[in-house]
Amino acid sequence: MTRDALDRILSSEEQIVPSSGFAGSVMDAVRREAATPPPIPFPWERALPGFALGVVALATLLFAGFMLRSPASPAAAPPAYTLPQLLAAARVAAVKADGAGWAALALLLTLASVFFSLRATGSRT
Amino acid sequence: MSAAEDQADVENVLAGDDSAFDGIVRRWQGPIVNLAYRFCRDRARAEDMAQDAFLRAYRALASWRREAAFSTWLFALATNLFRTDLRRIPAGTIPLEELPELQDTHAADGGLEDEDRDRVVRNAVYALPTKYREAILLFYFHEMDVPAAARSLGVPEGTFKARLFRGREILRGKLERRGVSAGLQEEIP
Repeated sequence: MTRDALDRILSSEEQIVPSSGFAGSVMDAVRREAATPPPIPFPWERALPGFALGVVALATLLFAGFMLRSPASPAAAPPAYTLPQLLAAARVAAVKADGAGWAALALLLTLASVFFSLRATGSRT
Repeated sequence: MSAAEDQADVENVLAGDDSAFDGIVRRWQGPIVNLAYRFCRDRARAEDMAQDAFLRAYRALASWRREAAFSTWLFALATNLFRTDLRRIPAGTIPLEELPELQDTHAADGGLEDEDRDRVVRNAVYALPTKYREAILLFYFHEMDVPAAARSLGVPEGTFKARLFRGREILRGKLERRGVSAGLQEEIP
């Protein structure tokens, strides 16, 4: 097939005319859109402290897991731990590692977590 | 189509006069509906797709940077939307292999058989892989303006030309196997 022939056939494709009510229908949709209130933005200010606490808790758990594994002999298989065991170990490890400073930080984080939780739930009711 | 009118209407809409969008719709409804029709080959669906495109344009008016013409921005937005829509619900095209054979592409008066052949060629275009089909459709929709068609697809001109070339090659091969090429070649002196 030659390029000219293809050009001629494809260039001569039929044109359609929009229906008479098309523009009106579009404008109705536009007016509905304009009348719709903007979507509620995600409450980042409230969520960020929670996210930060989550990250700190995760880091603490990882640190605790590392501290529990390190004294064991390399040949022994690592034992499985439950969440309460890991949390208790995190407390012990924190005290062992840096003493009272870590314990105070953990306590502060716990208090902050409780405070923000109460504030978030209290403001909704 | 006046670029100044487009710009004035956009400014008015952005200033809070939503009724100014009516001017944009009336100026561009024909081209946008026809662009949609080339993608989906269904008149009713083309109008639905075109309405979605205008609504999307209304929401995104503030993002139109005046560096490019409003029409360029509108076509690029519409093309992107139509491509997404067609990926979600593909148009009902007939595979080329399922089309009836053309017995004779030359009528005595050059009438109906030419129409049949043209229809086979267009169906062959719609049976092409998506990226080649889009390149060919937009090239002819934009009246063979490569920069405009490439902008609508959001690809560099070189990429667009390569797709156009490859699409034509595939098309030529398919049509030759269907016996369409002979008739077309004989038209060239």
